[in-house]
Amino acid sequence: MSQSPDQSTSGTAREAQAPSPLSFEAQILALLPSLRRYSRSLTRSDTESEDLLQDCVEKALVSRGQWRGANFKSWAYRIMTNLHLNARRSVARRPSVGMEEAETLAASTSADDPLEKNRLVQALETLPKEARAVLLLVVVEGYAYQEVADMLEIPVGTVMSRLSRARQALREKMREENVIPLRRPR
Amino acid sequence: MTEAGSVSEAELHAYADGFLDEVDRARVQSFLAENPDAAQMVADWQEQNDELRAAFAGHERSKPSDIQLLTGGLARTNTRPSRRFALAAAAVLIFAAGALGGHYGPLLFERPDIQLAYTEILPREARNAFLVYASEVRHPVEVFANEETHLANWLGKRLSIANLKVPNLQAQGFKLVGGRLLPVGGKPGAMFMYEDQAGQRLTVLVGRNKENRTTSFRFASVNTVETFYWIDGELGYAVTGEISRDMLRRVAEECYRQFPS
Repeated sequence: MSQSPDQSTSGTAREAQAPSPLSFEAQILALLPSLRRYSRSLTRSDTESEDLLQDCVEKALVSRGQWRGANFKSWAYRIMTNLHLNARRSVARRPSVGMEEAETLAASTSADDPLEKNRLVQALETLPKEARAVLLLVVVEGYAYQEVADMLEIPVGTVMSRLSRARQALREKMREENVIPLRRPR
Repeated sequence: MTEAGSVSEAELHAYADGFLDEVDRARVQSFLAENPDAAQMVADWQEQNDELRAAFAGHERSKPSDIQLLTGGLARTNTRPSRRFALAAAAVLIFAAGALGGHYGPLLFERPDIQLAYTEILPREARNAFLVYASEVRHPVEVFANEETHLANWLGKRLSIANLKVPNLQAQGFKLVGGRLLPVGGKPGAMFMYEDQAGQRLTVLVGRNKENRTTSFRFASVNTVETFYWIDGELGYAVTGEISRDMLRRVAEECYRQFPS
């Protein structure tokens, strides 16, 4: 993308030292769908999810100077993860789900099937947030264990123990009711 | 990790997540073959993986308001407007939108189709079939039990199942009424109907599962209609009735035993 001198009048945009200010916004925009998915999986409602996404985008734009041109996607995911973990630390857990959220919750679940997705997502919400983030980064977002370790700046052993804790907890939750393991007699 | 026959928990996770190379995968596989508890655990993890991906896949999408996210133009309750970058962002976005239009334009604002997982379709269709057909007095089925061989051959052919056997539930107190062809997940499926001496009916549904995976028995209940369902590779099964969970489960387990794996 060549720029003629007249085209870009904003000095601010030119000051950013990342490869090109154009590609920065373009990359965020291209990343929004998967960031939105990750955001929704970390949070409990569409409202919370969109707020987190917006925080993440603002934070990314403000701290664009810190991006060193290496893996942009991991950088954005890290921002979102940290925002989420920190926000939950400072804000006390809300006692119950508000009206607005109750609506989106109802809308996002399948009214016909009370099972499956809903139970697993409900179980997911009972996990410690660090373990939940690691599980989602691996399973839904497709990151390798070492990549998650690098992204969150934790040892890979910690990634594995969080993953293990998350999986065992989900397994126990799901086993508490209704699901019976298959056994075909030999 | 080094000695043959020993597998670490980390390797089990890597196996479940598909991160192992061929050699390690084979080693873990033979370990799992000899350790049914570990195999069940890994199978549960993989099922969690599938369900988690399915649960959030629909949220991976663009919104027309995404551009405003970048320009800070989106209103929200708890926000402080961050105008500092808004102008700059707006300026570059003119280019960005143009550049993206070429590459992502058709994709970007298109909502992905919401795809229901087979595990959602199956119990619902099983319940609907039960509600529609089990109350039929004269025509609950297309082919009655007196033509059981024909019924099995016909439905086996439509579902491409070699040697489809109609489950025998006599031991559970249910005798075959008959069966019919019906759509399950948009493909030909089979429904078998049974009734006990009191005339209480239950249905067994068999459908083709293109996702080709295996699940545990699952239970779905709406009002008084109970459904047990499971997926075994390319086929999905559901047992539905207005009977006790316990009885239904016994029937489901009997069907599982009798259907070819």
